[in-house]
Amino acid sequence: MMLDFFTAYRPLFDVFLLHTGYALGQYIVLRAGVFSVANAGLAAIGAYLAAGLTLKLGIHPYVSLAAAMLAGMAFSLLLSWPLARLRGVYQAIATLAFVQVVLSLNIFAERVTGGAMGMNGIPKVVGTWTLLFFAVVTIYIVTAISATRLGRAFDAIRQDEAVAVSLGVSVRFYQSVAFAISGAIAGLFGGLEAFHGYALEPNQFGFAFLVAGLSYVVLGGRRSVIGPVVGTAILVALPELARPLAEYRMLVYGLLLMLVINYLPRGVVDTFIEMLHRRRMAARQGSGAGGKS
Amino acid sequence: MTALRLQNVSKRFGGVVAAENVTIDVLPGRITGLIGPNGAGKTTIVNLISGMLSLTSGSIHFGERDIASTGADEIARMGFARTFQNIRLFKEASVIDNLLIGFHKVQQSSLMSNIVGTPSARAETYDIRARAHALLDRFEMGHFADFPAGSLSYGHQRRVEMMRALAADPAVLLLDEPVAGMNDVEAGELGDIFLDVARSGIAVLLIEHNIRFVTNLCEQIFVLDYGRVIASGPPEIVVTDPKVIAAYLGS
Repeated sequence: MMLDFFTAYRPLFDVFLLHTGYALGQYIVLRAGVFSVANAGLAAIGAYLAAGLTLKLGIHPYVSLAAAMLAGMAFSLLLSWPLARLRGVYQAIATLAFVQVVLSLNIFAERVTGGAMGMNGIPKVVGTWTLLFFAVVTIYIVTAISATRLGRAFDAIRQDEAVAVSLGVSVRFYQSVAFAISGAIAGLFGGLEAFHGYALEPNQFGFAFLVAGLSYVVLGGRRSVIGPVVGTAILVALPELARPLAEYRMLVYGLLLMLVINYLPRGVVDTFIEMLHRRRMAARQGSGAGGKS
Repeated sequence: MTALRLQNVSKRFGGVVAAENVTIDVLPGRITGLIGPNGAGKTTIVNLISGMLSLTSGSIHFGERDIASTGADEIARMGFARTFQNIRLFKEASVIDNLLIGFHKVQQSSLMSNIVGTPSARAETYDIRARAHALLDRFEMGHFADFPAGSLSYGHQRRVEMMRALAADPAVLLLDEPVAGMNDVEAGELGDIFLDVARSGIAVLLIEHNIRFVTNLCEQIFVLDYGRVIASGPPEIVVTDPKVIAAYLGS
């Protein structure tokens, strides 16, 4: 019975794992105060590169995956250079342009990418366990970063750049690091996605993909690492749980985002954590007038 | 301990002269006062020293080194710390998290060890957490550790900002109107802390426009008006200077 349940929902679980990676890639840049949406483009680069290397040059898929990850990181670092001068919404616009360039190249560089037909006959070497492995490793790394000086530097830059600088944090350096990590994650999961389906098509990493990546983080929460994971789980499961909604996926995303931004601006998980924290502090103050902890 | 020396420092914003030929020495182990009426250019001086603004002309030496064209984050890593005129804490973060980031520049862990979360990187966090708690206890604020910084009273927020600046054992501490908006008792308490800090060998530059507060604490005072130093010397001499009286009361 349990096994049946798992078999039935396995494809959905796979999507959840893939998108957890994308969500965390998006989360890392946002956490460092960079409003980049480049990950859709970086994932596309990873996917097409990995598939191309294996299909056309016969390279082992796992080597191709490593190449996808490195390419994601390299392109992201390159991108961080001109973006260092921009802030906020301007970064978003510039990175959106980057995504558009990558998507156009996917369509027009027909000989390499297969153009509008995409790529077919990609060996499916990535299954649930592989995805689970990489998702867990990614969650681990992002969590580890949060607990060290790197994560604190990201937080400081996001909250007040001038103060961060006055405390010796180099904004340019740490934002490049955020770009690099985020790009590596996006490239890697792009590659995983290529080896998980049998085919790639240019629209796979289009605007819907970009919006989804942002939505996971906004819905789940931008502070805790669990936030984006829960956000992904909700948004991936939602259209399946309510089948009639599946066709209106984008509409549901949009509505949900507007509701969350208005009523739970911190996202589901962070709001919940905040509530627990506040309750604990209140309890402590109640018992013994804020005695020493 | 190293001294800080501003020599003929000028800063213009377009046609506006914010600082002109300012020469100031800030010596370790004492509090140097920089006073002047509103708009005299005091905060500009702090921003120039900390590298947040670039000079138009002149030089700023820290020991032997000219830091006039050094980046703000690097200046901070050289041992400079500052507070801001309008308190700038990470308001939603807890008090302890606000302090932890203050230790950034003294931490040694490598980027890679942070990314993979090695035991040594975690141990470092554990270690600075202990130091942050010790700092809180020294300022008698231990029980506020987990409160969001923004929920504290004004005076306590000032203290947290001060602790954050002191976390990394700075050589130079720049205080931009640290007691603005406080009553005499609160200000006096903070003043005692500043004296303690200076006695530990730190060069403290105190920006204020409240003359009385500064004269109690400083051995040397510089008076700024319209971007120029109009008087300098020990407090008892400076407060009787006719130019200073004119600048404050109007001639």
